[in-house]
Amino acid sequence: MDKLQRRREYHIVVLGAGGVGKSCLTAQFVQNVWIESYDPTIEDSYRKQIEVDGRQCILEILDTAGTEQFTAMRELYMKSGQGFLLVFSITSLTSLTELHELRDQIVRIKDDPLVPLVIVGNKSDLEEDRAVSRSRAFQVSQSWNAPYYETSARARRNVDESFVDLCKQIIRKDMATRQVREMEKLDRGDRHRPGRGGRKRKKKFLDGGNSRCNIL
Amino acid sequence: MESLPRSSACVAPLQIVKGTPEVMTPSSRTPNFSSTMTNGVYLPQRTGQITPPLTPHDSEVTFERHADFQTYLRASYAYHPECHQNLTTVTLPLNGGDVILVHSVHSNGWADGTLLVSGARGWLPTNYCEGYESEPIRNLMKALTVFWDLIKGSSIGGLVAFRNSDYVRGLVAGVRCLLEKTNCLSRESNLIRSHDVLFKNRRALLGDLSAFVKVAGALKTLLTKSGGDLGVELDLEEMLSKAFKMVNRAVKFLDIWEEHMQSVDASVTIDHAKSMRVPPTPPADHTQFALSRNNQIASNAHNRPTSSENAKKEQNGVRSRYGRSSQTSVRPRSSNSFGHFHGLANRESASHRTSCTVSPMSQNLASEKLSALHNGFITSLAYFLGLHIQSRSSAEIRLTTEQSIVSCRDMLRLVEEIWERDRRRSFALQEAHDAMYDKIADLADAAKDIYRSEQFGEDSDTLVYAATACICAAGECVTESQLVVERIGDFEVESFGLGILDLEVARPAENPIQVSEDQRDVTTNGRLIPHEPLREPPPTPPKLPDHDRPVTSAMSATASSRNYSFNAVLVESTDNLDRSSEQKLLPPLPPFASCLLSYGDQFSSPPSSNCSVGDTQNNNDGRTREDSLGVSSSFDSSTYVGSTRDSEPSVVSQSSTRATSPDATLVTSLERPSLYKHETGIQSVLFEDGDEDEVKLLETTFAHELVYNREGQISGGTLPALIERLTTHDSTPDATFVSTFYLTFRLFATPTAFAQALIDRFQYVGESPHIAGPVRLRVYNVFKGWLESHWRNDCDSLALELIIPFAKRQLQIVLPTAGKRLATLASKVTAADGPLVPRLISSIGKTNTSIALYVSPDAPLPAPVITKSQLAALKNWKHGGASVSILDFDPLELARQFTIKESQIFCSILPEELLATEWMKKSGSMAVNVRAMSRLSTDLTNLVTDYILQLEDPKKRAIVIKQWVKIAKRFLELANYDSLFAVICSLESSTILRLKRTWEMVSSKTKATLEHLKSVVDISKNYVVLRQRLQNHVPPCLPFVGTYLTDLTFVDIGNQTTRQLPSEGPEESRSVINFDKHMKTAKIISELQRFQIPYRFTEIPELQTWMQDQLVRVRTSDESSMQNHYRRSLILEPRDQVQCKPSPMESQASFSSTKDKLDRDKFEFFGLGWPYHSKHHSRDKTVTRPTTPS
Repeated sequence: MDKLQRRREYHIVVLGAGGVGKSCLTAQFVQNVWIESYDPTIEDSYRKQIEVDGRQCILEILDTAGTEQFTAMRELYMKSGQGFLLVFSITSLTSLTELHELRDQIVRIKDDPLVPLVIVGNKSDLEEDRAVSRSRAFQVSQSWNAPYYETSARARRNVDESFVDLCKQIIRKDMATRQVREMEKLDRGDRHRPGRGGRKRKKKFLDGGNSRCNIL
Repeated sequence: MESLPRSSACVAPLQIVKGTPEVMTPSSRTPNFSSTMTNGVYLPQRTGQITPPLTPHDSEVTFERHADFQTYLRASYAYHPECHQNLTTVTLPLNGGDVILVHSVHSNGWADGTLLVSGARGWLPTNYCEGYESEPIRNLMKALTVFWDLIKGSSIGGLVAFRNSDYVRGLVAGVRCLLEKTNCLSRESNLIRSHDVLFKNRRALLGDLSAFVKVAGALKTLLTKSGGDLGVELDLEEMLSKAFKMVNRAVKFLDIWEEHMQSVDASVTIDHAKSMRVPPTPPADHTQFALSRNNQIASNAHNRPTSSENAKKEQNGVRSRYGRSSQTSVRPRSSNSFGHFHGLANRESASHRTSCTVSPMSQNLASEKLSALHNGFITSLAYFLGLHIQSRSSAEIRLTTEQSIVSCRDMLRLVEEIWERDRRRSFALQEAHDAMYDKIADLADAAKDIYRSEQFGEDSDTLVYAATACICAAGECVTESQLVVERIGDFEVESFGLGILDLEVARPAENPIQVSEDQRDVTTNGRLIPHEPLREPPPTPPKLPDHDRPVTSAMSATASSRNYSFNAVLVESTDNLDRSSEQKLLPPLPPFASCLLSYGDQFSSPPSSNCSVGDTQNNNDGRTREDSLGVSSSFDSSTYVGSTRDSEPSVVSQSSTRATSPDATLVTSLERPSLYKHETGIQSVLFEDGDEDEVKLLETTFAHELVYNREGQISGGTLPALIERLTTHDSTPDATFVSTFYLTFRLFATPTAFAQALIDRFQYVGESPHIAGPVRLRVYNVFKGWLESHWRNDCDSLALELIIPFAKRQLQIVLPTAGKRLATLASKVTAADGPLVPRLISSIGKTNTSIALYVSPDAPLPAPVITKSQLAALKNWKHGGASVSILDFDPLELARQFTIKESQIFCSILPEELLATEWMKKSGSMAVNVRAMSRLSTDLTNLVTDYILQLEDPKKRAIVIKQWVKIAKRFLELANYDSLFAVICSLESSTILRLKRTWEMVSSKTKATLEHLKSVVDISKNYVVLRQRLQNHVPPCLPFVGTYLTDLTFVDIGNQTTRQLPSEGPEESRSVINFDKHMKTAKIISELQRFQIPYRFTEIPELQTWMQDQLVRVRTSDESSMQNHYRRSLILEPRDQVQCKPSPMESQASFSSTKDKLDRDKFEFFGLGWPYHSKHHSRDKTVTRPTTPS
């Protein structure tokens, strides 16, 4: 556990097609409030300290917005991440399908199908333009076994929640990795993915059962 | 104010000693105690003694100190603590009506504040005060707060803000707003005409404003010239005191106005009750307070306090000054003490309208005029010298010489006038006069020679000498004249064409010399002193001298009768001079504006008139472009930054400003052999307080619609306000500001709106003739720069519908040549494909010329590292022969050739491609070069992967890896970070990294090199390693474009397009353009542009062709998709079926753990045919519903 105490800096990578507002999501999360003037060129531009489960941890967020066309660079970005925020726009179905490729790549690079992951459907304020139904998103959520949040970066809805959820997953994963040998003995069927319990989920959606969908 | 914590609010209240009010030594201020100054006494220790709050005896205290932080308080009652003489107290004595700028309020009810009336800072009981807020004056108070924060909040390093006059304009706008809201903006308004006291106070207010503006101007000059020196501190204090004084005056003005308005409403009694309210614990002189209020209303001299000197000091400054000036004004005027007339004149000048009515004299006293003219002359000479030291273009020298001559002529004319009155006894004066004439003739000759010979700088000594001699001669001349005037008595003179002074018909000479007992104060303490009588209005109402409309005919007579034959001196410009002197007779046009106009006429004149301002302007343009080009091309490599300066021509306007507003600092700093030296300093600039000044001071401005950030830079504003800033008359617009404007204006205004705003600016500046000339020139220059270098046919063409009529009508009337030129440009611009003039892309940018010339073209290109056999192999390949491999070539040469290729694309990136995430557009993106960059970079990564995976033998793969590492190392050496990134991306990809057997064959040396390379392109901490490397990198260099793209995206996303205009009042805050965002964007783009310099290597066409072929092959082949690469990787080195531990390489790359062994096996099983959607294969058992998203 002392190792856990030491290691409190987590790397989160935000991914998604261009135009889904993921940079807006990141900017919102990092800034807390819209500040006077945001300078993204400094070292601390994407660092944020938050409290998760009573522990202070620093999140370093890598959002490569603007470089989506450098497809070859993606792996380099992904390698640095411990948790991933996969963002699509609820107004664009293609933005959701594009996540599949990203997710495959992450799983391959991390060599872990259960890598900490959160699916984010952004632009929930544009309900009238919705192109991705919630059930559709929920299907993906279930198939990837990853929680789904509907956010509005513009209205700052669910922004912190999605990052915090991811952070929790990373922490659990971190602990799990350290206790891997004990874990190995567990019955795989009963294994409950850490951090996916949705304890803090505020609203449940549809027939979500152990809902992984978080829609405000 | 809301968004930023006010720095004044952050300053902890300090212990302040109440000292003797006579001395103020702001220069002794130390930065550590920047706020402790009170009357020049400092108390370093912070004893923290706070006098306990007094219980107010009055139960109806209105101030709610916790409810809302009031920036300004106004004392309701006088407060004179008994211990006030005690040196350890920090309490401020208050008089009723005092206005206090509050810095902080202690919970015990004491506030730390600064008394506007004295500038003293200390503790004061808030329960004696009430919040001061009044709608008409709100803007002014706000501006004062901003100004205070600027001064107190900025260190010396923050003096940048003082180099432009925005803060001044804020205060000016505040005063303007006050006058507007009180319907007193025009001197002709009914209220002002009918209400003497208001009239008087209005003039006084404007006088104070004028004084402030001048000190600010002087400081600006000082800063520009000296580049920031500690002496500036003094000026800051002075400015602050001037600002305080002005605001104090404004408050008083408003009081009178309010009372007047109330009395108009026939409810006089209410107000009287208010002013007669007696505080519960009446301090000693509360009665005087009441008296003073009455004083203000009655404005009569008979209420003059007769208290002792000591008592006066304790009094409210306004009142005491008031009283003092009353004394002065009723004094019998005697003509005995001529030695003092100067100071008196100065004093009078601030409020001469009012004093006029007391004495029959006007401000056209010979002595006053002499001083003013002398000042004007000295100023123009000083500017002449200043210009010269900076070795400006000859056209400017020409202009300033002309100005010097014109002012000299006026002065000599006056001297002659004086001489005429006492010819017999004024031989010395005649001599001085002649000497001065000779000197100015010498100066003109010297200037002419230099102008003709065009050999600038060599003859500069002559010029400097001549100018210095002129100054000496002028000093002599003034001294002699003053002696004569002293002898014969002062008299009124006809005005001369300087335009600074009011024009009046000559009156019979009189000797209305005033003597004031306050003389010493005036001459020795130019600073704010509580009982300082300077610039106070005497109480008697003024009469308007009948000179609102200058009598042109009389003037013409004067002008012609005193026609100096400067034709001989400056032959070529005879015409100009005559014209301009004629023009000057037109009242609303101050000299320079009229000069501009008259010169403007010559835009169309034949080339022989090469001295006209029209040419000056053209020269300027030429020079500017030359500068910018020259800076980056022909001089040396370190001059890149140099091109940030002077990118907009401004010289003409600068000189004009100087000509119309004498620069106090300059004047004082010059040694003059004058007996009256001490009097002609700062105070004497108060002279020009005429009608034009009023117009000048109250120019239409949108300065209050600007927002500043902590550094004092503009961070937002409305379009008119920003346009105004872009076309200021008094300072060169910051090059970054200008380039940001050109680059980004389409993001916040349509081209049509931009053009319209410029045209509006052109029009409304006509209301302020003194600045109209330079401003209009700038408007033209902005249009010109836009059309020439920043025009975008795709979106700007609509604006032509505005620009062409503007050029042909409005502009052509004022500046014919400019109008024609703009019209021509407008017609050409649609036809042109690219920019008409090679563009200076950004402030730190480059031109096409600079690219080629950046490295000296004489330097030999490095010889290519390629052998004949290699070239032969390439030729063979081209003709269908055996393929060649990267292993066949030298890594250095491969790196070079690839760098050439990439650099070509990089250098072609246009700034437009980088705006508003243009490159991200799904369709129709014009960001072709940005996209080409990312494509090339991606291709390179795939090529590396492809090369490695082509080979079956792990050993051979290791050799290829080694070759690529070598190439990558060369990329680093060439500062080609973009390609370095691409190679590392491949080598670090899971496809390559998992080739365990291959990596085992790679030497540890290569691995170490790779580790080093990886550390360079470390993406963590927001690319901190890379950013640091690039910071001071000398081009050529190929930075990783991705960081710029990300930065630009986040600047775009993370900053709103508008920001709120801070407002202190309850009114709705306005949204203005968030210019800060655009500045940031422009900064990032200029950073990128800094590196847009091509590499100088010899291109090897054969190698280029081969490389291109390889890239195309990789791009088009299905084999090169990421999935196929991975599949291939798995074929080459299948996963070990029993793998207990991940390879060291893989463990680095993943979070995998052995618990997922089963999953891993599944992965490996599917490895060969890694499907696009394979999650149902890789899911663990708990997943219930596999989905296949379409």
